[in-house]
Amino acid sequence: MSHDDAARAAVDADLESTVGADRKPEVGADLEPDVDALDLSDVGFDPAVRQTGAEDDSTLDHPRANSHTPTRGLRRKRAGRAGRLRRRLSAGLVLMIALLTMGGIYSMFAQASSADDSTTAANADHGRQLFSLGCVTCHGANLQGVVGRGPSLIGVGGAAVYYQVGTGRMPLVRQGAEAVRKPPRYSLEEVSDLAAYIQANGGGPTLPQGSLRDDKNVAEGGQLFRLNCAQCHGAAGRGAVLSAGKGIPSLAKAEDYQIYAAMLHGPENMPVFNNNQLTPEQKRSIIAYVQTLKESKDPGGNGLARIGPVSEGAVVWIVGIGLVLVSILWIGAKS
Amino acid sequence: MTTSGMDDPAAPTRPGPGGVGSGAERSTSLGDGTGVTDQPAPRGLPAPEHSSPDVPSVAELAQMDTEQAMLAGAVADGVFVEHRRNRYPVPGTRSEKRAELAVAACFAISFLAMIAFLVVFVAVPFKWVLPGQGSQTFHLYTPLLGTLLGISLFGVGIGAVLWAKWLMPEEEVVQDRHGGPSSEADQLMTAATFKSGFEDTGLARRSLLKSTLGLAGGALGIVPLVAVVGGLVKKPGNKLQTTLFTKGTPIVYADGRRASPSDLQAGGLVTVFPGVEGGVKAADSPTLLIRLRPNQKIKPRENQADYGWNDYVAYSKICTHAGCPASLYEQQTSRLLCPCHQSQFDVLLDAKPVFGPAARSLPRLPLGVEKGPDGKDYFISLSDYTEPIGPGFWERK
Amino acid sequence: MTTTIHSDLPRNFQKPRTPLGKVAKGSEERFGLAAGIRKQLNKVFPDHWSFMMGEIALYSFIILLLTGTYLTFFYDASMAEVAYNGTYAPLQGVEMSRAYETTLNISFDVRGGLVIRQIHHWAALMFVAAMTIHMFRVFFTGAFRKPREANWLIGLSLLTLGVVEGFAGYSLPDDLLSGTGLRIADAIMLSIPVIGSWVSFLVFGDEFPGTDIIGRLYIAHVLLIPAVLAALIGAHLALVVKQKHTQFPGPGNTEDTVRGERVYPVYAAKAGGFFFLVFGVLAGLGGLAQINPIWLFGPYNPAQVSSGSQPDWYMAMLDGSTRLFPQWETRLFGYTVPSVFWPTVVLPTILLTLAAAYPFIEARLTKDRDAHNLLQRPRDVPVRTSLGMMAISFVVVLFIGGGNDLVAKVFNISMNAMMWGLRIALLLVPPMVYMITYRLCIGLQRHDREVLEHGIETGIIKRLPSGEFIEVHQPLGPVDAHGHGELEYAGTSVPKRMNQVGGATRAIAGFFRPVREKPDVLEQLEAIHQAELESSVSHGGSVEVQAHRRQLPE
Repeated sequence: MSHDDAARAAVDADLESTVGADRKPEVGADLEPDVDALDLSDVGFDPAVRQTGAEDDSTLDHPRANSHTPTRGLRRKRAGRAGRLRRRLSAGLVLMIALLTMGGIYSMFAQASSADDSTTAANADHGRQLFSLGCVTCHGANLQGVVGRGPSLIGVGGAAVYYQVGTGRMPLVRQGAEAVRKPPRYSLEEVSDLAAYIQANGGGPTLPQGSLRDDKNVAEGGQLFRLNCAQCHGAAGRGAVLSAGKGIPSLAKAEDYQIYAAMLHGPENMPVFNNNQLTPEQKRSIIAYVQTLKESKDPGGNGLARIGPVSEGAVVWIVGIGLVLVSILWIGAKS
Repeated sequence: MTTSGMDDPAAPTRPGPGGVGSGAERSTSLGDGTGVTDQPAPRGLPAPEHSSPDVPSVAELAQMDTEQAMLAGAVADGVFVEHRRNRYPVPGTRSEKRAELAVAACFAISFLAMIAFLVVFVAVPFKWVLPGQGSQTFHLYTPLLGTLLGISLFGVGIGAVLWAKWLMPEEEVVQDRHGGPSSEADQLMTAATFKSGFEDTGLARRSLLKSTLGLAGGALGIVPLVAVVGGLVKKPGNKLQTTLFTKGTPIVYADGRRASPSDLQAGGLVTVFPGVEGGVKAADSPTLLIRLRPNQKIKPRENQADYGWNDYVAYSKICTHAGCPASLYEQQTSRLLCPCHQSQFDVLLDAKPVFGPAARSLPRLPLGVEKGPDGKDYFISLSDYTEPIGPGFWERK
Repeated sequence: MTTTIHSDLPRNFQKPRTPLGKVAKGSEERFGLAAGIRKQLNKVFPDHWSFMMGEIALYSFIILLLTGTYLTFFYDASMAEVAYNGTYAPLQGVEMSRAYETTLNISFDVRGGLVIRQIHHWAALMFVAAMTIHMFRVFFTGAFRKPREANWLIGLSLLTLGVVEGFAGYSLPDDLLSGTGLRIADAIMLSIPVIGSWVSFLVFGDEFPGTDIIGRLYIAHVLLIPAVLAALIGAHLALVVKQKHTQFPGPGNTEDTVRGERVYPVYAAKAGGFFFLVFGVLAGLGGLAQINPIWLFGPYNPAQVSSGSQPDWYMAMLDGSTRLFPQWETRLFGYTVPSVFWPTVVLPTILLTLAAAYPFIEARLTKDRDAHNLLQRPRDVPVRTSLGMMAISFVVVLFIGGGNDLVAKVFNISMNAMMWGLRIALLLVPPMVYMITYRLCIGLQRHDREVLEHGIETGIIKRLPSGEFIEVHQPLGPVDAHGHGELEYAGTSVPKRMNQVGGATRAIAGFFRPVREKPDVLEQLEAIHQAELESSVSHGGSVEVQAHRRQLPE
């Protein structure tokens, strides 16, 4: 694994801020507010990964951390739907069970922690297999890229895989102005395995563990969104166009991990927003704002695609003027 | 018989009897020239008989029923009811009842919708709630109010129109326009009145009065203008020519943190501001700090070769066309786009406009670096922009 | 009017006994309005659906006054900075102006506030849209001709002021979208040669955005402009009353008369009902279609912008012209004339001047100095119609230009190609539209004349003894020796299908299908008609016939 080690060293230097900075606040910040919302499997899984992550270099244990990260939003929803009363009553019970289970599983994993590298390596290995089947034609057997087909993937990091493969942009159907979102070819598991493989070979920015969304600072996220993102994606995240046929995707279908990965990776024409520019907390706030906007209902009736005056103008001419013209035709008709 | 002669019998607009039926025969049958026939009430028709003025006497009016008197009044107003018919000649038929019922149903629906509106208005919760933190029914509040109010108003509207169309008598009415100019005699007399009045004032002869009145009137006209505009007017000074950046101004992010060369990755950009009082809020402050990719080189303008700092450049974010923040950054092509009018600036050509309506390059901020108290490098501006930022104006050098 | 009081007057006339009668008599003794009021009640309005477009605008204006007054109870036109503490969580704690905060409060914390705000905004869009279609109607039918040029000018002022009023209202919430619009407005002011920067500082009170603009726009929006609008609307209507409404040519319609329904009661009921219908449409829109969701845009911040920032539809034309105009910034003797100046100041001035001058230009070119009360069908004045369509197509291209980024996104067109396409279209489409419209008008005219000459195609094919097949034509009137119709084209609509002239009952078209009297009504009519016939025999003529016989226009 000498290649791996070298890569990791390089990544460490590069990613000190990316990974190191966000791990500390997250362990504490994330566990407490979420305890009452966690179900058992969640609790069992979470700290174990965190533990290993905290001890070891982060790059290798990501696959699993990530594989649960994206599903987190789903759980939150489920918890939100449950009644507040029920949650309050059962919180204590759940906490107790959670602690017990956590302890149990922790001890299990602690014993097996020496085997952790090999588990991650197995993921990366699976990723390599997937890569050699699906990606190798364009990106080359050693990730070096193929002229005229695809760029080198050395150093792009796991975030790039999460974004490009997770949103279905890769594998590309054909070369064009830019890749478009489509139903993903790979399952989330497979995406994390691929990401592990890419991460293991050249490093680069990758997703942190745990929740990627911080609902405590939605309003701050909104300010940051309007300053950094709205000029392209629009205040309501509907996307827009760039020069000469290039476009800005809508955020309508973007999941937490995809937004986070996009900010780290800077796909296509999007600039990179690294962790010095937008801290991980700020990124989580932005994601919270984007997702809150999407989830929230329009209080004033149909949102008219939330694109503002253009759709409003169309409605007033077609529906408004249309209806009153029908009215005056009816009134003016002889009877 | 008649008491006034306001109508000009020679008016060409008078609809003639059309040659059918004779005036003589009519006047014998009606006797009074009111234009009202002695037909059964619903079919009362005015006789287009206008050889004599048509205001009936009070005594004659006393003999008429309401409709006849109304028709007489219409004729007096130059309005001729050509055709008038009750839609339901025999009152109380089934179809009349149906029509009445339909109109009543409209009003009843309107009433019910209003009641429902009031209930919704008072009873339905309307406060916005974060998704996942409670009932989302608030989003039905406004649509319900609008729909119910709409139904209620539609009920009244449709009811009123149906009433007019189904239940009120059908009529076709012709009115004289009398829209033309006054008679020539009137015109002459009015002109004379004006002229005489002007002569009475003697303004034409008394030139002293004329000139002093002109002065006074002119002053009265100008004073309010001066007062209003004078109060509003404000000297632009050199505010448009300068921004808050000066020599050595620290460059900060929106949250006040200082910008450092280690912050951005190649191909990244961030909005920065002068780190002075009010710097983040001033409209001419926003500046884009861009880190070029390793192989990129900018061809600078004259005398601006040292404006960048290593691979960093900074340009005003304010579009030189109409002042929107031109901040859509196409990282691969290094173009900045303005979302308002689609101007495109090529950063590698020193932010020169390459497409769209903008005509001038984005002004460039001279960048420098100083050591902060923590020993890290932080960006400062070496001076203000060397040209005014934003949209053009007349005095712009 | 001298009247002798007759002793044989009915009692109730001398001494009214009902309360209403007492009030009427009392006010008559004081104000003497009876004759004048009756004249207004008896006023005749011609009956055509297109004559009600102006009313849409009038009613929208009334609704704007009602809802706008409500909004002033809650809105505070202040640019003072506050931290939001209202219901809408995604903005809590954000710094914003009082104006934006109070608009959020109207939307989220005032019960029913959002629906009123939305009705107000929809009514504003409708107000300008209705004025526009009303203006088209007036233009294409020649209703602006003498003696109505003054009303055309008043209408044009109303439209212009309506747009300004709308823009002021759009700017009041001080959100990111309208703030961006204000910033562009500032750039437009700055672009005026010589006085530009002074104008900008005069309006904003300082360098953009200053702290005064919202308060100033507010007083303009709720007092100055509405007052002028109301006065102009009053003058507009007074002129319609004085000059009486135009009408289309038709049987019995002359330059000197107006034919239709009297104000009271039928027209009043219809027009009154129509007010509620317009209000109903706006209320429905206000509830069901979300408009100007300022909470999505966020408070104004000069460093921020949202892609897809557009003005309300009536400003889209200016936005489009600004986008499409080439980069022509000129420097004169060391002074700058920015490119924004041409498409946003010069172009609208030219367009408005042309529109204002049009009635006079047309009168000069056609040498027609007569007063006209009868309208023209668009096809009968092909040059005017084509010019109008040309102007509309020009504006429509600019409109598309105003939303070109969205069009490019929705239809997946390259932004650059879109821009060039529209620039070329702006030059090519209007002349093409002119030519097409001209040909259409001529074609329609010819067809009208052909039908008058040869009759309506019946669809019945007949074989002549010679073996020739011909289609039987139904003549519309008397025919000459050659079987050609003798009716002259009189500028009125010519029936072109059999079911427009035939029919068992009266040939009056209903809305969707010909009107049929209900069977029982038909029976009654029949009976009355019979009775009439009998009585008319004794009078020597049918009353019905007399009343309906009017001279046709020459």
